[in-house]
Amino acid sequence: MLAGELTVLTIALPWFGALCIWLGGNKAPRLTERAAVAFSVFAALASGALIPFATNQVVLRIPVGGVFGEFTFVPDGLGILLACIATGIGSLAVIFSLDSMRGEKELARYYALVLLFIGAMAGLVLTGSLLLLFFFWELVAFCSYALISFHNDDPKAVAGGIKALVITQIGGVGLAVGVLLTYAQLGSYEFDALLRHSAQMPREILGIIAFGFLLAALAKSAQVPFHTWLPDAMEAPTPVSALIHAATMVNAGIYLLARFYPAFVNVPAWTTTVMAIGMLSALLAALMALTANDLKRVLAYSTISQLGYMVFAVGVGATLASQFHLLSHAVFKALLFLAAGAVIHLTGTRALAQLGGLSERMPFVRNAFVLGALALAGVPLLNGFWSKELILEAGAQNAGMAAFILLLFGVSITALYATRVTWLVFWAPPRETNKVASSNGHSRPKEIGDAPRAMRIALGVLVGATFTSWLLIGGVSEMFARTLTLANVHVLTLFEMMAEIFLTPLTWIALGAVGFGVWLWTARERFANVRASWQFVTRAAENSFGFEWLNAQVVRATMGAAARLRVTQTGQLNWNMVGIVGGFVLVLAVLMMRW
Amino acid sequence: MMPAFVWLILVLVLAAPLVYLGGHVGRLRQLVANATSVEWETDPPNHLSQWLALGALAVAWIPFTLAARASDAAFALGTLALRFDGIALLLSALALGLGTLVAIFSGAYLRGEKQTEKFFALLLVMVGVMIGLGAARDLFNLWVWFEALAVASYMLVAFQRDERASLEAGVKYLVQSAAGSVMILLGIALVLAQAGTLDLEELGARLVTADSNLLFAALALFVIGFGVKAALVPLHTWLPDAHAHAPSGISAMLSGVVIEAGLIAMLRVMLPLIPHLQGQGNRVAVLFLVFGAINLLAGNLLALRQTEVKRLLAFSSVAQVGYIVFGLGITFWSGQGVGAQGAFFHLLNHGLMKGLAFLAAGALLFALRAGLPRHAPLTISDLAGAARRYPVIAFAFSIALLGLGGLPPLAGFMSKWQIFVAGVDAGNIWIDVLVVFAALNSVLSLAYYAPLVNAMYRGNVSPLVARGTPVPRAMVVPLVVLAVGVVVVGVAPNVLDWLTQPASAALLHSLGY
Amino acid sequence: MNLSPLDTAIFLVLGLFGVGFYALLIVRHLIKLVIALQILVKAAVVALAAAGAASGKLELGASLALSVIVVDTVVAVVALALALQVRKHFGTLDVSELGTLRG
Repeated sequence: MLAGELTVLTIALPWFGALCIWLGGNKAPRLTERAAVAFSVFAALASGALIPFATNQVVLRIPVGGVFGEFTFVPDGLGILLACIATGIGSLAVIFSLDSMRGEKELARYYALVLLFIGAMAGLVLTGSLLLLFFFWELVAFCSYALISFHNDDPKAVAGGIKALVITQIGGVGLAVGVLLTYAQLGSYEFDALLRHSAQMPREILGIIAFGFLLAALAKSAQVPFHTWLPDAMEAPTPVSALIHAATMVNAGIYLLARFYPAFVNVPAWTTTVMAIGMLSALLAALMALTANDLKRVLAYSTISQLGYMVFAVGVGATLASQFHLLSHAVFKALLFLAAGAVIHLTGTRALAQLGGLSERMPFVRNAFVLGALALAGVPLLNGFWSKELILEAGAQNAGMAAFILLLFGVSITALYATRVTWLVFWAPPRETNKVASSNGHSRPKEIGDAPRAMRIALGVLVGATFTSWLLIGGVSEMFARTLTLANVHVLTLFEMMAEIFLTPLTWIALGAVGFGVWLWTARERFANVRASWQFVTRAAENSFGFEWLNAQVVRATMGAAARLRVTQTGQLNWNMVGIVGGFVLVLAVLMMRW
Repeated sequence: MMPAFVWLILVLVLAAPLVYLGGHVGRLRQLVANATSVEWETDPPNHLSQWLALGALAVAWIPFTLAARASDAAFALGTLALRFDGIALLLSALALGLGTLVAIFSGAYLRGEKQTEKFFALLLVMVGVMIGLGAARDLFNLWVWFEALAVASYMLVAFQRDERASLEAGVKYLVQSAAGSVMILLGIALVLAQAGTLDLEELGARLVTADSNLLFAALALFVIGFGVKAALVPLHTWLPDAHAHAPSGISAMLSGVVIEAGLIAMLRVMLPLIPHLQGQGNRVAVLFLVFGAINLLAGNLLALRQTEVKRLLAFSSVAQVGYIVFGLGITFWSGQGVGAQGAFFHLLNHGLMKGLAFLAAGALLFALRAGLPRHAPLTISDLAGAARRYPVIAFAFSIALLGLGGLPPLAGFMSKWQIFVAGVDAGNIWIDVLVVFAALNSVLSLAYYAPLVNAMYRGNVSPLVARGTPVPRAMVVPLVVLAVGVVVVGVAPNVLDWLTQPASAALLHSLGY
Repeated sequence: MNLSPLDTAIFLVLGLFGVGFYALLIVRHLIKLVIALQILVKAAVVALAAAGAASGKLELGASLALSVIVVDTVVAVVALALALQVRKHFGTLDVSELGTLRG
């Protein structure tokens, strides 16, 4: 069956490319670049070709035996959509890298890891086995670590990478426990087994599985309180940030929740928790984006916030809306990141205070960035508008008016920070001179001009997609409805969606919220004293609402324990003998005491 | 007729004196040739003993293959009683495999050292004795094998005997290990007093009426006595010194097989006792589970802030032993073979991965030692940029480290997973909690493996690497073999079933299931 | 107080063990440590012989005791050889000086 081969190709093409590039070394950078583009584009084509074959049946089955079960692949609608995003946006990031990474050392390592990353993400969404899911889940975490730390002579980059690795792996423990419990209960790793037999499981076991999966998803998708790794991951080369934020990594968490929502929907408090965390992340991260002073950090917080909307949507049962917003977000966030990458590449800084006045110098990049910001804010006819409206509508219907009002608050802030960051980068005069242009791996400040060719290609494609990706709703919903039989998705044609969105008053209220947000920025002088009275929020947001502190405490406690434990290793033979004698007494006591 | 596995032991142990003499013959010849000319500052290169050792190891693979096919062969001669069951097969496969690779690796590594013929002879003894230890079916025999293994290990740890650190490590190893060994003897005396026999297969029947308190005392003595060798915390204190300051090939053997051999010896002597504890057998399970957890945490925390590469790897061995002990504890608790199979699987994988890690560290130490003061430890920052000059070694080292950290699709992930599956299957909430704890420890371990990998791939090359010497191919080949093994086992975990399944079956059999 | 031979042996073993381990905990001289190990081994020898007697396998116990003495001599020789090297390279036999590897 062709579906099996295409599934394998989608995963194996990037991996094979990664292997070739790794083995090829750094001798021929041009060849490396071409190979990377070729393999990623072909993988994207393979995943695209998979669309007509969407099925909820296993297309590939590799028996492994023992406690490892069978490795299966099920390319259903959800999986194919995410695979297309991973490979499609991934190949655009690779194309963008041609310009932005040119001249860097160790390109082979860079491209090999990017391709490994893309392939692992494709595998994660296409597999039908929980064990294999965990397998790819860990691999994605490793790739993100290696890429965030790509500039590994920079201690900040290394620290950011390890932070991402450790936090997502801690979440991964939740997934592992869920998978292990599922296997212990059902004797199978198949998704279908969990989805269909969840009701037969003991309630508390199912509860642990559900919250374990949730933990993993929150860590991976950088939701509160695990979001602290994402801003620090900004030390990565910008195409990697685009990859993490749009194509791979953070999408995995949303995917996991959407995938297993039908199994967990009846677990007490699960959907409420999902909704609450989504909402909290959406709002807190939006506030943090408003106060951040680093171009990439603004975008990072904005990702957390937008992911919050998706998590919320899953919580209210709007699987289609969440995944549709995931698609829109992937496109416009990739656009924003790559445009920001162009700005950073061309100016050599990412501090908002040093940027500014670039509107004239780089019109192409400006247009791309503005379009991305508009889509982020939810301005009509761009893809972000449609999917966000679907989420708002689902929220209003299923979670009540209070939730809707909170969401609207978030929408306003989103519009506000989107306006702010665009203004500061392109129109405001720079407030500081660019002193650190030589940091971030860039050799020296360049003569500032517009984006070179490969960047333009990648940005151009994304601009086109930002205008058009919402037209896919009919196809996506049909594919979902056909292959996700348990998710309760209905076919929603384009016209139905347009009618639905334009006819409900909620849309107009939401647009009012967007307008209000933009107006707030234009009227910021008038609100100077209001801002002063909100200082405590600003300060809290700048300090990441204390989560960063919490994080640091955990690290410090661990490191402190390690340091204290080292004292016990005295190197003195007599002391070592105390360990032996003491150990004997303890063991004897444990074995012989009455208990 | 003697079964094949006896030949296996004989070939190795009898070849050892030949290897030793061979080295002397080679040296004599060269001394004669140079009698009139200059005095050698160090001993002349001594290839003969290495080739003899390699020959003996190559020959040993023949009886090994035969022994692997003949299941459960037994042999008795006077007071010597042996039985080659699944556990023995597992241990001999690991010892022989790793021993062969270490012998290939060490010829070039030891260039410039004195008396390398002693090294190779002792290496053969170590491998042969370990196989005997695995096959012993008499409690006292087992102690003798164990003691012989210990003596070979002491001498190998302190092989570079004009080196203060090696001497210090050797002394600590010897005194602590000897104290443990005496405890074992006392335990044996207790068992003998109760049962009137030391045959491990007859013990079970004779212990039915035994006083369970005395059996508990014997168990405690065995756990501590063998636990010193198996590096159970808090008995592990000798390990970081010995593993870090032995020649790297021996570090690989010690971490990869010898501590595991200690654990297997412990299992051997404990298993017949456990069914006779008047229904208190679960205490042993609890003991193992607790030791597993303590080893995990202590090993990882101690490794977290190490700056010396080999010392870091040594502490990571303490943590990895924790997984094995944890898996065994699960089987003791539940009586299901999956946990033990996972533990044996992890034992093999740890042998592969840690063997690879120490050999790779050794290769880098070899390459960089031109710039280091003699026998100075290799630190993580010394490795900066190593991947540039030694891409294969750095890559193999990275595979070993990531495998130890439990990254799929490498071997370590698979065996840990199997242990976790067994733990959750046991259906006890506390074991579930321990599984979560073990998984979190895996994450913690990444916090020291990842920076080590990162250092090797740095762009700024350390001065030592810049001045590094080329590494001979004989040292790289074992690394490649092991790295391929780690990946293959990770992708196809069932390739080692032929070793792990009989071993766990043998364990269950001894437990009386 | 009447002690059977077995009781005497048990007390002897416990006494020797106590002395041996106590010495391992407090003695710092390497040669004395080796002596302490020897005391411990002698305790084990007595224990094995007594255990053989107690279980009615007198000969087995005796042969085990002899074997232990033989094997342990090898360990003692290696230990003393190491002590010699320590003396040579550290200039002392005080094991508290052998504390460079720590942490």
